[in-house]
Amino acid sequence: MSRAGFVLEVDDRTPPLVVHEGEGFRLETFPAGTRVVYPPESLPGLADVDAAIRTALLEPTGAEPLPALLRPGMRLTIAFDDVSLPLPPMRAPDVRQRVIEAVLTLAAAAGVDDVAIVAANALHRRMTEAELRHVVGERVFRSFFGEGLLTNHDAEDPDQLVHIGLTERGEDVEINRRAAESDLLVYVNVNLVAMDGGHKSVPVGLASYKSLKHHHNTHTMVASRSFMDHTASALHSSAWRMGRLLADHLKIFTIETTLNNDVFPSPYTFLQKREWEWNVRDQASMLAARRGLAVAPNRVRHSMFHSIRSAYGVTGVSAGEVEAVHEQTLARVHRQQLVEVDGQSDVLVLGVPYLGPYNVNSVMNPILAMCMGLGYYFNSYRGRPVVREGGAIILYHPVPREFNQLHHPSYVDFFEEVLAETTDPATLEAKFEEQYATDPWYIHLYRTSHAYHGVHPFYMWYWGAHAMDHAGDIVWVGADRSTVARMGFRAASTLADALEMVSGSVGRTPSITVLHNPPHLLADVR
Amino acid sequence: MRPTDLVRGAADDVATVARGWRWGRRPLVPRSAAAHQLATANPPFPTAWARKAAAVAVRDAVQAGVMGPLVRAEVATSVSGTDVLTGLRPPVLFVSNHASHLDTLLVLTALPAPWRRRTAVAAAADYFFDTWWRAASSALVFNAFPIERRSGQLETTPGDLLAQGWNLVVFPEGTRSTDGWMGRFRLGAAYLATRHQVPVVPVAIRGSYAAMPRGRGWPLPGRPPVSIRFGPAVHPGATETPREMAPRLESAVAALLDEDASTWWQARQRLAAGGTPAASGPAVAQWRRVWESSRLPEQPRTRRAWAARGR
Repeated sequence: MSRAGFVLEVDDRTPPLVVHEGEGFRLETFPAGTRVVYPPESLPGLADVDAAIRTALLEPTGAEPLPALLRPGMRLTIAFDDVSLPLPPMRAPDVRQRVIEAVLTLAAAAGVDDVAIVAANALHRRMTEAELRHVVGERVFRSFFGEGLLTNHDAEDPDQLVHIGLTERGEDVEINRRAAESDLLVYVNVNLVAMDGGHKSVPVGLASYKSLKHHHNTHTMVASRSFMDHTASALHSSAWRMGRLLADHLKIFTIETTLNNDVFPSPYTFLQKREWEWNVRDQASMLAARRGLAVAPNRVRHSMFHSIRSAYGVTGVSAGEVEAVHEQTLARVHRQQLVEVDGQSDVLVLGVPYLGPYNVNSVMNPILAMCMGLGYYFNSYRGRPVVREGGAIILYHPVPREFNQLHHPSYVDFFEEVLAETTDPATLEAKFEEQYATDPWYIHLYRTSHAYHGVHPFYMWYWGAHAMDHAGDIVWVGADRSTVARMGFRAASTLADALEMVSGSVGRTPSITVLHNPPHLLADVR
Repeated sequence: MRPTDLVRGAADDVATVARGWRWGRRPLVPRSAAAHQLATANPPFPTAWARKAAAVAVRDAVQAGVMGPLVRAEVATSVSGTDVLTGLRPPVLFVSNHASHLDTLLVLTALPAPWRRRTAVAAAADYFFDTWWRAASSALVFNAFPIERRSGQLETTPGDLLAQGWNLVVFPEGTRSTDGWMGRFRLGAAYLATRHQVPVVPVAIRGSYAAMPRGRGWPLPGRPPVSIRFGPAVHPGATETPREMAPRLESAVAALLDEDASTWWQARQRLAAGGTPAASGPAVAQWRRVWESSRLPEQPRTRRAWAARGR
């Protein structure tokens, strides 16, 4: 049976605890009394995933069964979440492959000929052929890719976009033309965390910059408390308005899937066990991993981590009307990730791992490291932030000044030009965003290469805006000093040094809370 | 990275793990995590070998030649009531109050050799059988066999041992007292006695808490006095239930404690009047309970036969 998550209070019996720091981890001894939030143990996966998918398609929620929506001569588009989900990537077969195959089996039986499949990558980089094949599976890839019917969404092709209208707040809804002009859009999602899914799928994943800028901005980010709770998120409120408008124009059948917390396969399983329960084998694996990482060249270390493919179990599949489906999905996500935390603390400690949504098969550059820590992990709360307003955030990551020129060309310029002038999210948004968003070279690279859109580093910076606005001090342990200084933060060699540095804002004996993730958790702060 | 740094890093890592995960010692669970622990599903440690003739011979030599003299060197033991064993035949249950790790040793070394050789001790699996070396030494030196305090599989049940003619030492409180006073008896001992119709010999131990309470690994210096008193056997009724018998056992041990603190005659009078002092101690502040328990019992006084009155 899977145990619920809980909050550990460090005492004299607590062994050193694992803290992730990029492509590595350390064993940290925290001060007595430190609270450590552990996620629930991995829930059992469904024994028969294909049967669950079939049931979801034939007995959907708030919609007719999928076979009743399929007919000869219709135009069917299937969109799916891109390479940014799940993290780490799923060991084949990916659940999206299973769902898409089930949908196509029904479509073939119904005599549907006009089918196109689109990766809903919004302003993310285009997926490579290998990545597409991994996600949709060999059979689907062979049937559609050669025909040009399995494609990445292009948010900069005016001919392939259609403006649906304005929401009641004047927000542009502009999405992929093929999807918008289909008789039925089937959306296949992997709902890794509570932020994903719902109306964030179609109106965001298939949108253009013109549409995205209404919710991807500093104002909505600071007003989202947090973006892991769609009921309290300005970002999601905007997406929900757009989704409801879309629903009036387009028939959407959404399929949402949820995964358990089996993030680390062998030989890394010790990373998802509670440390005091490590047996001799776990201890030996940890020592071997530590020693291996210490002697491995950067390239090998990078490969060790980025070759991890997680053997997730699928905890559920829901299909039908977007909002009704999403309620069921969120309940499952919460069951897997939610942990009650009693009150805020003065200091929040976060170990930033090697992987975030935007560096799959790539490098976690300084801006992505910031986004992972201050964006995703800081916002992994419901109710109130884990750290009090004016408190301190201590993050672990080496933050090397490394960029992938293929994937993140605009990040390099953002780091060198924009951050050299200002780190204030609102200022850089007003002064630089438009320039980067409309730069022809970045647009060209986004459309023809595998580059993130020119505006993407701005969005990453906005992702951390809430944390920067909320915290009094932000210190990185083990980080490159000049790199974090460019981002407006400070670096410390050890936790003790970091606590010393933040003592001006939180005192000498602050309350400390550590989020022990990955695997994913969502702190329900009461 | 230089080779010396690599070696130093590896040594530091190993030292950190050895210290943090207490290599060779009992693994500990953080207090706040205790409520979230799963029951261990480790296979039970086999102890049948410890009841073979060779192991019995080794144990007899260790208990008689090493443990007995060591105990008597460290604490001033006073044993009384072993004559109650006359007329009894194994198997019997020895049921005692429990306040110290000394208790097992005290009972075993107080028993006459023929009884001691045929006596096994029920020991908590999660404590005495958590590491291989602790399990092996417990089985060899004390003839201990593991019992699960929560739940789990057993290699040997206490009933099996009784059926094979082994006497058992059982501490029905289930754990050592935290303040030296006797806790409520659980039903295990009474269940064994009624189920297997074996007599129960009550044993009262006074002074072991003061000599070596929880948290100490060795008795206090100065040979603190400890008394071990055996009482008349309590026989289970043919139709008696464990729930009926358990209070009788508790009363028998309480009366023995009273007898040890005063005299047999005074204790009998109080027992007859229903006035045996509660072995669970007075309902006062915890510190007062600990304070009282940690007071060393009075040394047994030997009255000189020809001592003049009033001197």
